[in-house]
Amino acid sequence: MAVAFSSDSSEVINRSLGISSPSRTSPDSVEALYEISRCVEWVKIRGFHKVALQFPDCLLVDATEVASKMEKKTGAKVYILGDTSYGSCCVDEVAAQHVNADCIIHYGQSCLSPTSHLPVLYVFCCRPVDVEHCVQSFRDLIPDQHTRVILMSDVTYSASINDISTRLSQEYTHLVTSRLNIPDSKLDTESSTEMSEHTTDSTPTQENTLKQDSQVICRFGRTFCLQADTELDSYSIFYIGEESLTLTNLMMAYNRCTFYSYNPEERNCRKETLNVNKALMKRYYMVEKAKEANVVGIVAGTLGVSDYLTVINNLKEMIKKAGKKSYTFVMGKLNVPKLANFMEIDVFVLVACSENTLIDSSEFYRPVVTPFEMELACNSAREWTGEYITDFRELLPGAPSHVPMSEGTGEDETDVSLISGGMRRVGLREEEAAGSTAVVKRDDVLTVAESNSGASFLQSLSCQGLEQKLGETEVTTAVEGRKGIAAGYSHEPGAGGDEGRD
Amino acid sequence: MVHFTVDQIREVMDKKKNIRNMSVIAHVDHGKSTLTDSLVSKAGIIASQKAGETRFTDTRKDEQERCITIKSTAISLFYELDEKDMEFVPNDGKEGPNERGFLINLIDSPGHVDFSSEVTAALRVTDGALVVVDCVSGVCVQTETVLRQAISERIKPVLFMNKMDRALLELQLEKEDLYQNFARTVENVNVIVATYADEDGPMGNIMVSPEKGTVGFGSGLHGWAFTLKQFGELYSNKFKIDLHKMMKRLWGDQFFNGKKWQKTGGEGFMRGFNKFVLDPIYQVFTAIMNFKKDETTKLLEKLEVKLTHEEKGLEGKPLLKVAMRKWLPAGEALLQMICTHLPSPVTAQKYRMELLYEGPHDDEAALGIKNCDASAPLMMYVSKMVPTTDKGRFYAFGRVFSGKVGTGQKVRIMGPNFIPGKKEDLYVKPIQRTILMMGRYIEPIEDVPCGNIVGLVGVDQFLVKTGTLTTFQDAHNLRVMKFSVSPVVRVAVEPKNPSELPKLVEGLKRLAKSDPMVQCIIEESGEHIVAGAGELHLEICLKDLEEDHAGIPIKKSDPVVSYRETVEEQSEITCLSKSPNKHNRLFMRAQPLTEGIAEDIDRGDITPRDDAKARARKLADEYGWDVGEARKIWCFGPDTNGPNMLVDCTKGVQYLSEIKDSVVAGFQWASKEGVLCEENMRAVRFDIHDVTLHADAIHRGGGQIIPTARRCLYACQLTAKPRILEPIYQVEIQCPQDSTGGIYSCMNKRRGHVTEENQIIGTPQVVVKAYLPVMESFGFTADLRSQTGGKAFPQCVFDHWKILPGDPFEEGSMPGVVVTNTRKRKGLNEGVPPLDKYLDKM
Repeated sequence: MAVAFSSDSSEVINRSLGISSPSRTSPDSVEALYEISRCVEWVKIRGFHKVALQFPDCLLVDATEVASKMEKKTGAKVYILGDTSYGSCCVDEVAAQHVNADCIIHYGQSCLSPTSHLPVLYVFCCRPVDVEHCVQSFRDLIPDQHTRVILMSDVTYSASINDISTRLSQEYTHLVTSRLNIPDSKLDTESSTEMSEHTTDSTPTQENTLKQDSQVICRFGRTFCLQADTELDSYSIFYIGEESLTLTNLMMAYNRCTFYSYNPEERNCRKETLNVNKALMKRYYMVEKAKEANVVGIVAGTLGVSDYLTVINNLKEMIKKAGKKSYTFVMGKLNVPKLANFMEIDVFVLVACSENTLIDSSEFYRPVVTPFEMELACNSAREWTGEYITDFRELLPGAPSHVPMSEGTGEDETDVSLISGGMRRVGLREEEAAGSTAVVKRDDVLTVAESNSGASFLQSLSCQGLEQKLGETEVTTAVEGRKGIAAGYSHEPGAGGDEGRD
Repeated sequence: MVHFTVDQIREVMDKKKNIRNMSVIAHVDHGKSTLTDSLVSKAGIIASQKAGETRFTDTRKDEQERCITIKSTAISLFYELDEKDMEFVPNDGKEGPNERGFLINLIDSPGHVDFSSEVTAALRVTDGALVVVDCVSGVCVQTETVLRQAISERIKPVLFMNKMDRALLELQLEKEDLYQNFARTVENVNVIVATYADEDGPMGNIMVSPEKGTVGFGSGLHGWAFTLKQFGELYSNKFKIDLHKMMKRLWGDQFFNGKKWQKTGGEGFMRGFNKFVLDPIYQVFTAIMNFKKDETTKLLEKLEVKLTHEEKGLEGKPLLKVAMRKWLPAGEALLQMICTHLPSPVTAQKYRMELLYEGPHDDEAALGIKNCDASAPLMMYVSKMVPTTDKGRFYAFGRVFSGKVGTGQKVRIMGPNFIPGKKEDLYVKPIQRTILMMGRYIEPIEDVPCGNIVGLVGVDQFLVKTGTLTTFQDAHNLRVMKFSVSPVVRVAVEPKNPSELPKLVEGLKRLAKSDPMVQCIIEESGEHIVAGAGELHLEICLKDLEEDHAGIPIKKSDPVVSYRETVEEQSEITCLSKSPNKHNRLFMRAQPLTEGIAEDIDRGDITPRDDAKARARKLADEYGWDVGEARKIWCFGPDTNGPNMLVDCTKGVQYLSEIKDSVVAGFQWASKEGVLCEENMRAVRFDIHDVTLHADAIHRGGGQIIPTARRCLYACQLTAKPRILEPIYQVEIQCPQDSTGGIYSCMNKRRGHVTEENQIIGTPQVVVKAYLPVMESFGFTADLRSQTGGKAFPQCVFDHWKILPGDPFEEGSMPGVVVTNTRKRKGLNEGVPPLDKYLDKM
C-alpha cells in the first residue's frame, strides 16, 4: 500500500490546526486602512514599474485585495511578499530583489530601521485610539501636572498621537511628544513622510523655541526634544500601544525611566511592572557568559537593516582581537534545534533590528546575545553602566555610543570568572598574535597539542564519524523495519488508520 | 625571640631534615592562639630591626575584637635542642647529631567550623599537627573534623591537653578524675586516629600516647606545659631507672606504694601519674592559692625555681603563673615535643607524595617530591592567597615540595582545571619576587628550597585560589584540596548605588581569591551571589567585601539556601519525547540513585575518571547494580562530575553512539537546571531504555537530540515523584545541664532534632548533638543564646542533604513554597511547567 510512505492524504486535509486565522478587513475599509491612494500617488510620482508589497502574517489575508487595487490603479506590476525570513517589522529587501522590484511598500508594524537599497514607503495601517479615554487615563495615572513626561506611541497608533499631545500639553507643562522619524531610504522624504510633516506643522512654534537650547534625541525612528537643562532620566514615558517588542525595546533602551502604557484595544492603562532592572541583570549574566565563550557564532538576523554587514565585520574583528574564534551563520528565523546543531559554539550573537535583537534564550542550548553585549564582553574599554544599546548601529565607529577597542598590553591578561569560579584569559593569546600562518620556532615549553577551534571540539566527541567495526558486529538476518511516517509509525498504538498491522 | 638575618634563615632552610612544618588545630576556644603566642615568644624568628614589636598572629582587627582566629597565619620559629635530647630525634629528622637548630614553620589556624577551609589550606602545607584539646570539654566536633582531615592528608598528630589551670582552679578536680579526663581524651583521639589510619599504613603508628611523649599537658594561658618526658627525666635520675621505662610508669595502670610497682591499684598504692606528676603540681597550686608563704617558698626551692626579687612579692594567681612558667616553661616542652615527634619534610614527603601528586608516581616530579630533592624540578603547591597592602594584589602562599623557587624564575602556573597536554588554566610566567611570610611581616628572599613554606609575588593574577607551580614541563597537578565544609549559605549582593556595579564585580573577584572557600558567582537571574560555609563566615566575607575589596556600600539579601532536586521513586511510565522533526524518539526513566552513591561521588570514591570495569564491579558488589548496566554509565552530571548518572539500558540500537554526545549534553544541561526550580539535581539516575532514530545522520543531529534529551529527562523527573533536598547542619552545642531545655525548645521551633546528649564526665556540662536544616539556622545562634542565657554556643557544620518532606506540587507545602520562591527569585515563570510540555504521545 502507498500508506507505507505516507499517511492517508485525506487526514492531512481534515486535520485542524490550532491557529485562528485573522478576519479579513471589509472591502470598504481596505482603501482607508491601507492608504491605497497615498501608495498609488507615491508609485505614480516616482514612476516605479515593479512594486513589492510586504505584509506581516496578520495582514496577509488582505494582501490580494490590496494588490489587485494597487495594480488596477497604478498599472505597475505588483508582487506580494509574505512570510518574511526575519522579523516582519523589517523591510525584506532580499525578497524584493528576487523579483527585481524597484520599490517596496511595507504594511503594518515596523521597527523603522533604515534600509540600504530600495526606496520604501511605510504604511502603518493605523488603528484608531479613543482619544478622550486615553487622555482621561493619562490624567488618572499621572495626576501631577508638572511631571516630565515623554509621549510615545506604537507606529500603528501614531496617527492619533497629535490629538492626544495637543490636548495634554495644555495641562501638562513638561510634556514632550516623540515624533516618528520615517527612515529615508535613498529618496527625498517629501511624499513618504507625510505624517511627520503633518505633525511638525501642528506645533511649529514649540519646536522652534525648543531647538536652540534643548537636546534632541533621535533613536529607533523616534525623535523628541528634551527641554533645556533636563536629563532624560528625570522623565517618565507614556506609551500608547499594546505590549510588544517595541515597548520592550524602548524600556530596555530608556531603562532609567518609568514607563506607563495605554492599551487602545483593551482600553486600559497601567504602570509597567516588568522589572527592567531584573531584565537588565539577566542580560548582564549573558555578558558574563559571552566573556566565557571561546567560540562565537555570529548569526545574521537581518538582511535589510543598513550597515548590518559592517556590524558583522566589526564583530568578527573584535572577537578575533579578544582571542575568541568566530563563525558566521545565516539561518533565517532562529529556533532551538537550528542553533543546537552547532555544539561547538559557546555563544551566539544575533545581528538583527533593535526590536528583534533581544531574545529570551533560556530554552536555547547556548545563549544568544546582542552585538552590544558581545562588545561588552570583548572590549574592556566598554563598561557596564546600566545603559543598554539595542540598536547595533549605535556601536559603529562614528556613532555616539562607539567605544574604540581597547588595546591589549600584549601580556596575558586574566580575570576571575564569576560563572565557573575559575581563571580566564582576556585578550589575544601570545602565540596567536604571531599569526597562525607564520612559521614559528617550536618552543617546547609552550607548544601544546590543542588549539582553540572546531578541530579540538571534534576530538572531544566520543563519536567522530563512521566506524567500520569490522568483525565486531554480529551477522544477523534482516528483519522487517518500521512502517509509516515519523509522526506515528504503523506499529505504534494510536498511529493513524492502520492499526490492523499490530 | 630569636633574631636572625634573612641570610641566616636561608641557611637553615637548606637543612631540610631539621625543618618541621606544622599546624596548630583545635576546636574553637580551646586555646590555640594563646598557646601559639607562648611558642612565638619563646622561639619566634623576627628580623632584627622588627624586634620589640609583638602580636604576631593577630593580623586582623576583627580577629582581636572577636577573639577568634579567622585567617590562618604562618610564623617561623627557631629552636635549639639540648644535646641530650638529640638522641630522641629519629635519624631522618636531623641532619646530624650536632645539628641541633630546628626551623619550625608553624601555622595557627581558626577553630570555628565556618573557617575550616583555612585549616584545610594549612594542613596541605604542613606535615605535622599539634592538636589542642581543652582537657575539660574533651574532644569536640571540630577537633574530630580537623583531626580526620589531618589524617587523610597524612599529617602526623601530637596532642596537647590545654587549660589544666581551669581544671584545677575552677573545677577543683580530684587527681584521679583529672587523670580519667586525660585518659578519656587520649582514648577519644586515638579512636579517631584508628578509624582513619591503619597502624601498618604508610605513616606507621600515629596514635598519640603520653608515655611516648607525644601528649603534652599544661596551660597555654599561664604559659606552662610538660610532657611525661620532663617528669621522666626528673625521676629516672632519682630512681636510677631508664628514662623510657620511667615514662611508661608515669601513665596508665601503673601503681606505686612507695616501694614497688604493680598493675592494679590497692591499699596504699597510688597511680604513678597521680603521684609523680599531678601531686607536685597540685601541691604548688594549693600552696600558692591558699597563700601559704612558707610552704610555697620551700616547694619552689625544692623544684629549683628561682624567682626574682620582684616576683617574690607576688601572691595568688600571678605568683602561680610565674612559678609554673619558670618550673615548666611551655615553650621548652612543646618545642621539644614538636622537634622530636613531628616528621621532617624528608620523612613526610616520602609517604605524602602518592596522595599529593596526580601524575605517574615515577616521573621526575614525583621522585623530586618523594626525595625532597632541592636539585629536582620545582614542584610547589599554592594553598591560599594572602592580601597584600597593595589593594587587589595577593601573595601566593604555599609549600615547595621539590626543587627551589626563586625570584625571576620562569615557571608553569597550573590552575585546578589544568590537564596535562592542554593549555587551559596554564600560564608560563616569571616569578616577580620570592618572600618569607612571618606573621604580618614579609621579607624578600633570593630563593627557597623544598620542604619550606614561601610567599610569591606576581602569581596571583594567574590563580584564583590554589594551584601548582612547576618547572617540569610534563608535570601533572598537585591534587586540589578537599574541604570538609561546603558553601551552603548564600546571599545576593548589589551595590547601593547601581552605577558602582563594576566596583562590586571587581570586589567579588578579589574576595573569591582571598578566601579558600567562599564562592562568588553570578546567577542566571543576574544576581551576584556570595556563598559561604555559615552565617559567621558570610558575615566576615561581606564585611571584607564592603570595606576592603569593593570599598563601596552594598545591599545584601536575606540569606538563602541552595537546594537540590531529586526523585523519590522510579518514573511511573517510560517517558517518550520526540525530536522537533518527529523523526527521533527517546524513551527514558528516572529513579533515585542507590543510597550512598551520591555521597561516594561527593567524596571522590566514585568518579567519572575511574576505570569503567572497576567502577562497575564496585557498583555491583556494594550497591547491587546489574553489572551490564553499571558498565554502560554514559556520564555523570552536572559539570560531568556531579552526583547524577545517565545509564544506557538499551539493547542493540543502531547509531546510538552517534547521538551519545548530544544526549550527554542534554543531560548536563538538565541535571544542572532541574525542572522544579532550576536547581542542581542530586542522586538521580536516568536510564535510556530505547531510542528510535532517523536513518539519515542529518536528521538526528545535535539540534534534534539535545533539546529532546532535555525534555525527556524533565518528563522523567516529573513522573518519578520529584522532591526537593535541603541541606542539613550537624550542630554541636556545649552548655550547662540546666540549659538543655532552651536547646530543645529552640530545636523544636526550627525543625531540628537532637540525636545525642552526653554529659562531660566530671563537669556539669553536656554536649548536645543535633541535626538542623540550614534553612532554619539563620539567627539560630542568637536565639539559642537568648534561650539559654548566653550559656550555649553552637557549632554548625554541613552534614548531609535531606528530602524536604511533602509534595512540591501541593500548594502551601514546604517544598511547594521553596519551589515558588526560588522560581520567583530567579525570574522564572510561575509554577512548575506541566508534564505535557515535555512528554510526547506515541
